[in-house]
Amino acid sequence: MLLWLAHMSPKTEVWQGTLALMVLKTLSAMGPQHGYGLARRIEQTSEDLLSINEGTLYPVLLKLEQEGAIAAQWGVSDNNRRAKFYRITRTGQKQLDTEMAQWAQANAIVGRFLSLKGVKS
Amino acid sequence: MTRMLRRAWRRLLGTVSFLNRESELNEELESHIAMLADENMRRGMSRDDAYRRARIKLGNVEVMKEHYRDQRGLPFLDTTWQDLRYAVRVLRKNRGFTAVAVLSLAIGIGANTAIFSLVNNVLLQPLPYRDPDRLFAVRTTNVLAGGGGAVPVNPAQAREWANHCPSLEQVAILRPTRGQLAAGTEPAIVYGARVTHSFFTLLGAEPIFGRSFLPEEQQEGRDRVAVLSESLWRARFNADPSWVGRSILIDGVDHEVVGIVGGAYWRSLAGGRRQSTGSDNQYDLFRPLALSREESARLTGNYNYAALIRVKAGASAEQALAEMNVVQARVPRNPDGRGDLGVLLIPLHELITGRSIGLWIVTGAVGAVLLIVCMNLANLLLSRVASRRREAAVRSALGASRGRQFRQAITESMVIAVAGGTLGVLIATWLLQLLISTAAIDLPRLNHVSVDPAALAFALAATIVTGVLFSVLPAWQLTRGNPNQALRSGSHMVTEARGGLRLRKGLIGLEVGVCTALLIVAALLTTSLDRLLRVDKGFDVEGILTFDLDTAGPAYEDAETRDRFFGRVVDKLSALPGVGATGFIIQLPLEGNTWNDSIYLPDEGTRSQRHPVDNRYASPGYFKALQLEMLHGRVFDEFDRGRGVAVLSAKAARLLWPDDPNPVGRQFMGEDDAIKTVVGIVSEVRASLQDNPPPHAYYPYWQRVPGDVDVVIRTNASPERMAGRIRAVLHGEDPTLPIAPVREMQALVDGAVQQRRFQSTLVAVFAISAVLVASLGIYGVVAYSVARRRNEIGIRMALGARRSQLLALIVREGMTPVLAGLVAGIATALLLGRAIRGLLFEIQTTDPVTIAGVAATLVAVGVLACLIPARRAVASTTVEALRLE
Repeated sequence: MLLWLAHMSPKTEVWQGTLALMVLKTLSAMGPQHGYGLARRIEQTSEDLLSINEGTLYPVLLKLEQEGAIAAQWGVSDNNRRAKFYRITRTGQKQLDTEMAQWAQANAIVGRFLSLKGVKS
Repeated sequence: MTRMLRRAWRRLLGTVSFLNRESELNEELESHIAMLADENMRRGMSRDDAYRRARIKLGNVEVMKEHYRDQRGLPFLDTTWQDLRYAVRVLRKNRGFTAVAVLSLAIGIGANTAIFSLVNNVLLQPLPYRDPDRLFAVRTTNVLAGGGGAVPVNPAQAREWANHCPSLEQVAILRPTRGQLAAGTEPAIVYGARVTHSFFTLLGAEPIFGRSFLPEEQQEGRDRVAVLSESLWRARFNADPSWVGRSILIDGVDHEVVGIVGGAYWRSLAGGRRQSTGSDNQYDLFRPLALSREESARLTGNYNYAALIRVKAGASAEQALAEMNVVQARVPRNPDGRGDLGVLLIPLHELITGRSIGLWIVTGAVGAVLLIVCMNLANLLLSRVASRRREAAVRSALGASRGRQFRQAITESMVIAVAGGTLGVLIATWLLQLLISTAAIDLPRLNHVSVDPAALAFALAATIVTGVLFSVLPAWQLTRGNPNQALRSGSHMVTEARGGLRLRKGLIGLEVGVCTALLIVAALLTTSLDRLLRVDKGFDVEGILTFDLDTAGPAYEDAETRDRFFGRVVDKLSALPGVGATGFIIQLPLEGNTWNDSIYLPDEGTRSQRHPVDNRYASPGYFKALQLEMLHGRVFDEFDRGRGVAVLSAKAARLLWPDDPNPVGRQFMGEDDAIKTVVGIVSEVRASLQDNPPPHAYYPYWQRVPGDVDVVIRTNASPERMAGRIRAVLHGEDPTLPIAPVREMQALVDGAVQQRRFQSTLVAVFAISAVLVASLGIYGVVAYSVARRRNEIGIRMALGARRSQLLALIVREGMTPVLAGLVAGIATALLLGRAIRGLLFEIQTTDPVTIAGVAATLVAVGVLACLIPARRAVASTTVEALRLE
């Protein structure tokens, strides 16, 4: 899993989609975060299984911002550095809910296939 | 969906505000690195190490930024902007090329836009009548023996069509009139028509005030009513609706105005085409066409009325024509072997705007010029491809994709095209003014033509299409092939790839082909015009002045008054210095006007042996002024007053007395059903320029004194001086008489070929420009290939080849595509010939002299275009050529 995600082209829709979902969920759960914080949280949440090329985060953030799912504002971080803070918007929350439902559904379907017990010939 | 829209909008904004975002991203990334480094330092790394590791962790920032940028704005717009700036830079560096390209395109697009404006306004806009496609004018064919073309219709026959042809919805008959109108302001001559009551409903014109004519107003005695055109009503009646119901004086007779009609009623509706452009070529005054019993009784041979028909919805013109011809075939004819009468249907649009084929040929010619300009530009660009291929290879080595480079090349051409198109619109405006102001055109609605939105849209479309057309091939050539090879080869070391040269030769072949076809068409049209002008008209046109002498008005109502008046005018004119002979006639020859009515032999007693001829009332001086040849006998003269005499043309005499070579002294019944004695036989005269002379019967004017005559004066004095003297004479006779302009007979002939001249001139101009452009193309290709083969030429010379041999070699190679194009072009012209046959006069589309002449011209131009660069190449010495390496 780790290798796969890390080597995917950062342009790939699937990769961007997955990462966007992670970003939205993180922002929804943890409140406003700056880019660096988001990278850390995602790493932690994946229990270090997912090491993302942190630069790829920014195109995804831009895309979400353009879609209106998140909003950005400059602020000051815990250790007094100027940073851009992202927060999830109402549109973003709705988007997250639908995508989570879709993800769960897809997961369930794939899970059902994977647990299929066939008659071996 | 909204998500995508929102994103698209933001991206568009992003394109605009990219500087801002770029620095913001940098700041954000800096802060990211700093925080990461802080963390690393907390873990005990040195500061430098911490920052280095942080940067590694972040990944390749430049690649990321690239992706970020791609997402931020619209990359397409960004790169287009880039391409545009690059294109402008490149074009500014190659000023010569850019100037030639932009100018030639501007001329091409400009000429096309101007002609499009004409065609769009004159041909493509429907006539302002209801369902104009179902309207036709009718002419009768096979009436006059021995030529004369189709003639107007006989009203009795027209009535039969209305009764017996189920495909016809309506038939209207009309006859042009001209009357002195005394109402409103001062008296004026107003052109109008006598029309049947169906006329307005047939055209679908509703009166804006009052009504149109009632059927019963076509009876004699009830016809003193008039309908005014809206423009006359506005110009002379102050647009006052209360004139409806009031009385106006037309030629001194009271008429009640019953209605005002809007719309346009061109004089060509009744076959009149004397006047040129503008609103003065319309009918303004309408009266009912009432045929008196007396007139109706002797209608049989009378073909002097115009007729319009409206075909029923769902019925075809062919059907209507077939039905009308059936009716026509029932008309009793002479047993002299001529076929049945027939009719000819002319679409109303054609009647008013003229044969559209001529203007279409002009359109084709101007389009061909633009096509050749395109091909030439493509050729120019292709010749630059070889030298730019290295540049392209370097760019692709630096990571530019093929598609991106292709787009870059197209953008460059589009910049040229847009510049050319913009300049072209200016040229079009100017050209259109020139076309209209030279008034070499006899097209209606011309005063409405301008470079309008439709023309602008056309110019835009032309710009885009030409831009794509001339750039796709070169762009494809530029970006195809192996960049590695291109990089390795020095640009002048390697002979051009065969494919490129073949492509350019193919383009040259195409250009020459189009030129050939165009030149042949132009030559055919010009020759036709020339032959038409030189055709034997029956008299010498040079040195004849003519003017219209109109005696409309109550003062001249009495025939004797008019008789004396005309006599006095002619006497006074003859006495003027420099005047040879003076006379007058009811209708001039060559103008296409005829008065077709029958003559017959009295002893046969039946009215069946009738021979329609063209009848003219003339003064004795007319024959002397035109210097017509008297074949037998003499001209009628003053001493013939009081007895019925006539002069017949040889053709007319043969109709009556086929076996008598000299029928002077014999008698026949004239068009007025009175006995005439033949006093002379005169030579033939053309009634219209392009048709063979019809049989003519001439009567002395005093036998039926017209109200309106054309005076002819043979003189060697200058027209300007004579015009002044003529005006003085007329003014002395009657100061209130409106005086028409004095024209040269030659001008009248020129007027008759105006439209032809206009079309053939335009086609010729376009054909010559096409040849010039194409010869530049040939020159370019040969010059380029010679320049690249200098080395080879030097070696050949060193090995002892003679200059003449080398010249022959180069010319032969350069001429191959020219000759191929020539053959293809001649074949095309032969195919096209069918379409233009109707425009030709006494020349075949296969005319070998024309084709050979065009071929010789093009070969000469081609050889010249090859020789100039070839001589230059051969002139350089062997050493020079080899030292180039």
